[in-house]
Amino acid sequence: MAMVDYYRPLRLNQIDSSLQEEIKRTCGVDVELCLECGKCTGGCSNAHIFDLTPRKIVQLVKLGDEKRLLNMDSLWTCVSCQLCVDRCPSHIDIPRIMDYMREKARKKNVRAQRESIEIFHELMLDSIRKTGRVAEAPLALKHNLRTRQYFKDAELGGRMFFKGKLNPLSPKVKNVKQVKDLFAQTIDKKEG
Amino acid sequence: MAIAYYPGCSLHSMAHEYDISARLVSERLGIDLREVTDWNCCGATAAHSLNHKLAVGLNSRNLNLVKDMKLDKITTPCAGCFSRLKTASLELGDPAMRESLQDLGIISEGAEAVQVEHLLQVMLEEVGLDKIKQNVVKPLKGPKLAAYYGCLITRPRAVAQFDDPEQPMALDNLLQALGAETVPWSHKAECCGGGFAASDTAIVVDLGGQVLEAARQAGAQALVVACPMCQANLDTRQQTIEADRGQKYGLPIIYFTQLMGLAFGFTPKQMGMQRLLVKPNQLLALHG
Amino acid sequence: MTTNLDKKALVVGAGLAGMEAAIKIGQAGYEVYLVEKENTMGGVTGQLFSSFPRWENPRELVDNRIQTINQIEKIRVLTTTTVQSARREGEAFVVDLQKADGQVEQVAADAVVLATGFELMDVSVYGEYGYGIYPNVVNSLEFEDKLREWSAAGSKADRPKSIAFFKCVGSRDRSKGNPYCSKICCMYTAKQAGLTKDLLPEAKAYVFYMDYRAAGKEYEEFVRSVIETKHVRYVRGRPSKVLPENGRLVVRAEDTLMGVPIEVEVDMVVLASAIVPREGTRVLAGMFGALTDQYGFIENVPFELRQTGNGVFFAGACGFAVETAGAQAQGAAAAADVVALFNRVPQGVK
Repeated sequence: MAMVDYYRPLRLNQIDSSLQEEIKRTCGVDVELCLECGKCTGGCSNAHIFDLTPRKIVQLVKLGDEKRLLNMDSLWTCVSCQLCVDRCPSHIDIPRIMDYMREKARKKNVRAQRESIEIFHELMLDSIRKTGRVAEAPLALKHNLRTRQYFKDAELGGRMFFKGKLNPLSPKVKNVKQVKDLFAQTIDKKEG
Repeated sequence: MAIAYYPGCSLHSMAHEYDISARLVSERLGIDLREVTDWNCCGATAAHSLNHKLAVGLNSRNLNLVKDMKLDKITTPCAGCFSRLKTASLELGDPAMRESLQDLGIISEGAEAVQVEHLLQVMLEEVGLDKIKQNVVKPLKGPKLAAYYGCLITRPRAVAQFDDPEQPMALDNLLQALGAETVPWSHKAECCGGGFAASDTAIVVDLGGQVLEAARQAGAQALVVACPMCQANLDTRQQTIEADRGQKYGLPIIYFTQLMGLAFGFTPKQMGMQRLLVKPNQLLALHG
Repeated sequence: MTTNLDKKALVVGAGLAGMEAAIKIGQAGYEVYLVEKENTMGGVTGQLFSSFPRWENPRELVDNRIQTINQIEKIRVLTTTTVQSARREGEAFVVDLQKADGQVEQVAADAVVLATGFELMDVSVYGEYGYGIYPNVVNSLEFEDKLREWSAAGSKADRPKSIAFFKCVGSRDRSKGNPYCSKICCMYTAKQAGLTKDLLPEAKAYVFYMDYRAAGKEYEEFVRSVIETKHVRYVRGRPSKVLPENGRLVVRAEDTLMGVPIEVEVDMVVLASAIVPREGTRVLAGMFGALTDQYGFIENVPFELRQTGNGVFFAGACGFAVETAGAQAQGAAAAADVVALFNRVPQGVK
């Protein structure tokens, strides 16, 4: 596919529509239904901190600009609150597009600019991969270590500990092999 | 009435009081909650963010376990788990997804038929307000309450299929049945920041702050939630939010099941009220 | 050629379209029953405070038409009357009309014109806008009343400092079952926002729009004048949420030209609600064997624009959203069809 050259006017006739078709085929989301009204973005919980807002994300899918979609910060600051899809007059499932692009970024090894969020997701999945479940306290601790925020929430952690909110025990699923196999066959599977 | 019960990871650690109160009030109402044998984590935001099939697979395994228990319905008190379970159940309507997960040995025939309901939905649709009212021995004549639904109990409507996502009333109706007064307010279903409390605290401070400010403006003296993430965000981050906005809130963030329990005559201790960071003093004075 | 002046027509609905049809059929010398369920003629046009694109008083038009009707002996006006049932007898219809006092009058009609108009969609289905919950969120017909109140000398009505107008509420929304454009909202919203600036010069007026559709004589100039000389602020973007805050209403939307989320504090929100057929139109159409479309608007038979069945014609917004002038023109066109039917010349004669 022709790369988008940001230093020249976009030449529409050279744009590849394969991403749009790919998203329609794999996610069942048809961006051609977009009325360009911006209702998604107006209500979005985090649009004010997005580098690319939901309406622009839909438009970038149409433009086939995969590079920008994989690298955008919004990919990681989207809280999956579902406001956009729920209010969209065409029910365009933008959160599903977000999930799909994150999955693709991971496959292509494009790391998030805001690494803290991606690392949190990965640590959580590590825990599920190993035990089938998540224990919040060890997860938060590991996250602080990995993101070099050694004293983050130390005071809060103390208060929560005394409330009995922090359970240091890591529970485990008995048939954890089944869960491990699922990981191996999905997220850990090497392409090709 | 036997229903498979999926507590989810939070209810086994931070939100222990939600688990305890959910079980006790369900028992009182004659709901036989049977914890799903060997359940696994729903994957929360992490799984669906990074791999669609993993997310569907994790939840389908749980649905399959319910089927193996010979039950046809699963309920969970967590809005996040509810959304992931229900999404998976809808995805299993797609024969290709179903076959693929069968090939991986995650599910067998019939997992797609298991129905998914949030515990709040069970209270309203299976138990009913009449029966709940009959069990009230100590009406909640306490603080004015703001019912906070958050995102995933009602949204997206195509998945949740419960209440109105913009002006929900289910939780208000339940609290009123317990004798409480609920306030009309604007942020019933705006987002609190979801799963970002640890990974990007500023997001939770911003969004959670908007929710607390709206509740304050509406004259609420406590918020009532039906999700452990909403509770954790609004309770544990409240101090930071207060510092950020230069506004004292002091709003207890209480699980709806805890309030059901108090109204049913359980003690605050039994309902784990002491575990809330922002103390519900007004309620404790009345029900202590 | 003979003219059979014994023929009679029934016109259902005495809004602008129905009145026009009745006038023209009556002027041609035929007897007309003009049936109206309300107690006055004039329909929605009669409720409007002003019109586009010339800022005229619609009341003057309606009064002129009523006066004309009153001068035509052949027109019998039956207000607070509804059609209870109808059956075909040969080429004609026998119709039972129900009056306010419960009495039923039976009439015979050789042709029928349906002109039942429209209603506004119930926009309380948009919980995000809070219609029916927040008192200062009103629909566009309710806003015409507000304009009238503010224009009245000595009126003590509350005067908002800031008003937001939302276009396409229920229109162009397949999630709510109305993928169509309601056609007239762009123009009447420009009119309402412009009047707001005339009547409340200190107030701010924001129009939230996806695009503005001003296809008509003097229409584009009208919208531009509202923006350029009355200083109504157009914001491109469909609002997503109305949130009460400190006694006012905060509108959340995207400025789609800038691509950024915006908020604006206002005191009133006006929803340009979708034009939908009246509830009873489909049932009424069924009584006369008239065609309706998927939404319940009256549909024409092939090649005949105002005919919807054998001896059954239609005019005005019961067919689809239409502006005042269009409704009047359709009424006249339907009347021409009726008169042509009453004077049909045997085939082969030229």
